[in-house]
Amino acid sequence: MKILRLTFIALGILAMVSCSKYPTSSSRLLEDLAVLTQYDVNTNFGLYKKYSIVDTVYYITDKGTQKVISANSQILINQIIGNMNARGYQKVAKSANPDLGINVSVLKTTTTTVYYPGWYWGYPGYYPSDWWGYGGYYYPYYPTYYSSYSAGTMIIEMVNFKKLVDNKVPVVWNAYIRGLITDTHTTSDITGAIDQAFTQTPSIKTSL
Amino acid sequence: MKKIFIILMIGLLFAGTVNAQDEGTKSSFGYKPSSYYSFGWNTLWSLGDFNKWISNGSPAGFNLGGRYFIGGSNFAAGFNIQWQRVWQDYPQQTFYGDNGVALTAMNYRFTWMVPFQAAIDYYFMPSKMVSPYIGLGIGGDYMEHHLLIQELDIYKTRWDFSLTPEIGALIKFGAFSNFGAQVAFNYKWTTNYIDFSTGTKLSNLQMIQLRIGLCYFLR
Repeated sequence: MKILRLTFIALGILAMVSCSKYPTSSSRLLEDLAVLTQYDVNTNFGLYKKYSIVDTVYYITDKGTQKVISANSQILINQIIGNMNARGYQKVAKSANPDLGINVSVLKTTTTTVYYPGWYWGYPGYYPSDWWGYGGYYYPYYPTYYSSYSAGTMIIEMVNFKKLVDNKVPVVWNAYIRGLITDTHTTSDITGAIDQAFTQTPSIKTSL
Repeated sequence: MKKIFIILMIGLLFAGTVNAQDEGTKSSFGYKPSSYYSFGWNTLWSLGDFNKWISNGSPAGFNLGGRYFIGGSNFAAGFNIQWQRVWQDYPQQTFYGDNGVALTAMNYRFTWMVPFQAAIDYYFMPSKMVSPYIGLGIGGDYMEHHLLIQELDIYKTRWDFSLTPEIGALIKFGAFSNFGAQVAFNYKWTTNYIDFSTGTKLSNLQMIQLRIGLCYFLR
């Protein structure tokens, strides 16, 4: 009887131990685009009207940053411009004293783990796509980000030229669109993700 | 599914009633165990706020239990230890976090739980081949709630307090057999909660469970 009793207990323990708590997840998880945004809650986006944007997408590779002018890059830039204009902002040239600036980059590196603080500066071969003539960027908020960047992450950053600190411009909004090359995505998928980045940040809207 | 449970429970209670009518004439038939151990397959369906997190039912569960009859009474006290997992795929959804954070992605959710409960049951006819019972489990659960987005695994772990009223039946394989089966149906209320998205707290997770298992009776 003791043997049977122990068998029952052993079976129970075995069942618990042998069954993984992690279910088999769908492969679609890796293929799908994910959109992560964060804005500075202390910034009143309604106070600004004029913005400028880089003229193309910067590709960040293991060998450094590469400015890529292509039809696809222009489609992405135009999608951001469309969203900004729809929120009431006015696109101006860099020389026209804009209130806000927008950078657009795509990470094309292999997976690299980076951590805050210092991730921005410490990233191998990565420097800001456009410093706009200032001494650099800083984040006025603790950025939420993927601790491990995979290849194929699109980064959109909005900086505020009206709040310089030590000649550095604060990033007041950032958007990461992740999963660009883990599966075949159409241009429409990516422009849709750009739209989603703005949709989930309703604070970006001018009152002027 | 609920209809099946109700029919099943009525059937079990009816079987018990038939046995009860026989008891007067065959009182020496069968035996009352001093204790028993059970090992069963557990299925779960979420209710209430828990259903908003994962609406799928889950067959991935096991339960290990033991009961000891108190003196000569029909009451038995014991324990239940369980292992259970529920999971579900969701299409793209937006989660809003603190400090202006928002995340939109297809997500995969699962909750893994290990309840530990003390239990007390009342058995209507413990010496019969079929003995319906009612019981109450009181204890705590260890739960992990996972939100998987791409290769990210965002999770929260929580202990809770839980109550589990249960009805069921023990079915001996023979009047004097040491082996038998158990069918149990319960409702579980917990203080556990899920709060992945700011302003959206899913609290007092509830569920119903059906358990089918084997028992070993000690005389």
